Amino acid sequence: MRSSRLALGLLFILALGLPLFAASWRWWDLRSGVVEVHARMPDAGGWSPASIRVPAGEALRLMLTSDDVMHSFAIGQSASPVIDLYPGKPVETTLQFDEPGKYTFYCTRWCGPDHWRMRGTIEVTGDANIQTGAAEQPLYLTLGLDIDAHHEASTLPQQRPSVVRGAALGLVLPDKYLALDYYRLHSPEQVWNDLRGELFSKELDDQQVWDLVALVWQFHASSGDAESSQQLYARDCAACHGEAGAGDGVFAHVLGAASETGDMHARQTPADFTGAAHMLGASPALLHGKIVRGGMGTGMPYWGPIYTDDQAWALVSRLYEFQFEVEDK
Amino acid sequence: MNRAALTNTPVVKSLLRSRWPQLFLRALTLGVFLLAILAGILGTPVGNRNIAIVLVWIAWWGLLALLAVPLFGRGWCNICPIPMPGEWLQQGSLLGPRGKGLGLGKRWPNPLRNIWIQNGAFLLLALCSAVVLTEPKVSAWVLAGFLLVAIGASLVFERRAFCRYLCPVGGYIGLYSQASPLELRVVDASVCASHTEKTCYTGSSQGYGCPWQVFPGGLVKNTNCGLCMECLRTCPHDNLSLNVRSFGADLDVPTGRKLDEAYKAFILLGSAMIYAAVMLGPWGQLKALAYGVGTLPWLGYALGFLLVTLVIIPGSFWLVSMLGQVLAGNKDAFKGRGVKKAFTSLAYTLVPLGMTAWIAFTLSFIFANGSYILPSLSDPLGFGWNLFGTAGMGWTPYLSGIVPFMQVIVLLVGLAWASRTALKIARQLASQARLPQEAARRMALPVVAFCLAITILLFQLLIA
Amino acid sequence: MLGFALAAVFALAAPLAQAAGSQPVERTIHVQASSFEFTPATIRVHRGDIITLEIESTDVVHGIAIDGYDLRIDADPGQTARLTFTADRSGVFRFRCPVTCGALHPFMIGKLYVGNNSLYWGAVLAAVLAAVVGLWSVRK
Repeated sequence: MRSSRLALGLLFILALGLPLFAASWRWWDLRSGVVEVHARMPDAGGWSPASIRVPAGEALRLMLTSDDVMHSFAIGQSASPVIDLYPGKPVETTLQFDEPGKYTFYCTRWCGPDHWRMRGTIEVTGDANIQTGAAEQPLYLTLGLDIDAHHEASTLPQQRPSVVRGAALGLVLPDKYLALDYYRLHSPEQVWNDLRGELFSKELDDQQVWDLVALVWQFHASSGDAESSQQLYARDCAACHGEAGAGDGVFAHVLGAASETGDMHARQTPADFTGAAHMLGASPALLHGKIVRGGMGTGMPYWGPIYTDDQAWALVSRLYEFQFEVEDK
Repeated sequence: MNRAALTNTPVVKSLLRSRWPQLFLRALTLGVFLLAILAGILGTPVGNRNIAIVLVWIAWWGLLALLAVPLFGRGWCNICPIPMPGEWLQQGSLLGPRGKGLGLGKRWPNPLRNIWIQNGAFLLLALCSAVVLTEPKVSAWVLAGFLLVAIGASLVFERRAFCRYLCPVGGYIGLYSQASPLELRVVDASVCASHTEKTCYTGSSQGYGCPWQVFPGGLVKNTNCGLCMECLRTCPHDNLSLNVRSFGADLDVPTGRKLDEAYKAFILLGSAMIYAAVMLGPWGQLKALAYGVGTLPWLGYALGFLLVTLVIIPGSFWLVSMLGQVLAGNKDAFKGRGVKKAFTSLAYTLVPLGMTAWIAFTLSFIFANGSYILPSLSDPLGFGWNLFGTAGMGWTPYLSGIVPFMQVIVLLVGLAWASRTALKIARQLASQARLPQEAARRMALPVVAFCLAITILLFQLLIA
Repeated sequence: MLGFALAAVFALAAPLAQAAGSQPVERTIHVQASSFEFTPATIRVHRGDIITLEIESTDVVHGIAIDGYDLRIDADPGQTARLTFTADRSGVFRFRCPVTCGALHPFMIGKLYVGNNSLYWGAVLAAVLAAVVGLWSVRK
């Protein structure tokens, strides 16, 4: 009789013990206060949960795991590092937000054409310590700019405007062109028109004036992070807009052509940054607006909650590099 | 034939007779099995980070196909967890006969006393394998299904009805166990002749009558002996012995060659080749077809699968057998006389050929994906544990440059072995049909050519 | 016996199968990776060629890892990855996706053919020999 009890005991310990051990560990995990966040491809649900609440100043422990393909976890407008999520390999991280507000978390590794929709929010509750005031309006709103209006340039250069050639002209540009506001509000074509009308450009031919335009652009190109704007473009834009900016990225065909009704808010093939008419007629404020606001249904993501202002303007400069021959500084 | 009796060593005999080591191992495998089911249902849906996939279809399958079956025949069946809960309920005990158990104890119906159901079950599993082998939840439900069916079978029928007649893997293990160097046999048949009680089959206070419904006294082949050691416990004359013998000795036994087993050989060989094409080939469309279980395109794939395993391979083997008969001088060959017997008998040539084909396929599969095993042991459910510190290890293929050479060697050994088997069987057929012995070589030649063709096809699929 | 025979066949077959000296060429091969196949799925080059593989992922993060060459690179959609190597080993080498990309990920496979597959031809010859040896081994 004793041996049969022993046998039964052995059986329970081994046969049931292993699964029970695993199940209870899991149960303990779930009760430990860690928020389990699952990452899935957007058409399989995206982030789950997609909204999290935490009081300001309190530690938020997250266990992040991907349930299907490679994803990553990043927080918009934040310097916290991007966490790569290999499928089935959970990563635990602790976040802490001192300021109340709404923070957006998102995925930075392409996981399908709707990858950009993979976003969630962390709502940090509490009384605001500092008067944050209203969030700053993007420039196009302040200007009342219609960023959906056509902006095809009618005057085009014969060849790509070159900074080197422009610099070789040895001219000193008036302060007007060196003002940041001037640059942001005017398209390259408008700047060309202004330069064309100047006295000092009387001796120059049209192409040389375009080269001066390139010089103006280079002057205002956000200093410092040329490399990181390259990285941002490669990471976030190239999959649709193409590695060479021609609107022929791997997802371009999925996004399809503009609808027959001419509805500008239907899904469209991504913009071609190598198209001179299109780009030279667009002011930086317009491009900045498109990046921040998104395409309203065209498939172009809105990057407002994700990019800092510096990042957005740096990306704008990067886009013009498809038009201008820019030398490394 | 040379045989070395392992049970002549007292330590071995007492270990095998004792119920404790066996119970320990069975409880362990059951624990891992239940853990795998739990992991599949509760754990991460990513297959290569969940033990429901990694431990079952990579680790266990690798050990089974590469070691357990070729070396120990039905050795796995001794410690397999699937029939155990049902059997413990049926027997009402964990440590030998003690009182009543549960269950209706019905006899397995006579028309089903064959492995046709097992053949069907294996095919069904094989057709769905692209999904079963990659989705933890599906794998878990399949394993749980096996467990429930096995419990049900034990409560309705006597003995191990599930293992003998239903288990899909059992057909594989049973057929290929004929090739293994391990066997359990009586020492002296005359002792059995004078023993009227036949407790090895009927049971005694020391143990149960053979749960596999085999009469140990008459056992000549491994196919249906699950190495459970009950007869070792019940025989009052200590007449049972566990022997090491030469590989494939059972293939020389001229009796008991049946059509259901022959078909199992065709099915297994065909499946190995199709698996190699689908899983190791570069054809993405084929894989998508195999994965879309339940869709119309998948149905086309399934029909193709069944056509190859049930019609094309057996059909060409029939032609080959008929040709062999003609060459051997069987004048009635075209009328079909003698062809069926040759067909069924010579099909056993495909036992070593098929087993090595599966080994070659498994080698590629296991070495390419074996690096998932250590991480999954540390993080069985894929939820961030690190029990043994190996959870962070990434994927890397093992020995990728050497695997093709290993496959070639394995397949060459299989071909030589199959050719040898073909000739031996042909000689038996020749003497039975009263044909001259030289006719045997001519009878075997088409079969050997068939095996050569299959081997070259396998080279194409695996290393070319 | 079988071992000797096999060794002899390989020793004979391998030099016979060497490609008649061809100049190494630099090739760039564009491979698209999608779930769950490579396009093209088979790549053929000559031994000694300097290969640059451009891996373009079209839906999720994939990559390429080549058996036998122990090479690996990952590729995000929108960031074509480039892997340059010299095909100094001849034979057939499977290449696989090294980043889990869904259910059929372990079966996402292509094949790289470099020069002659002397292993295959040697094996075929050895197979004929193996069949003969098997028959011969049955004593009267």
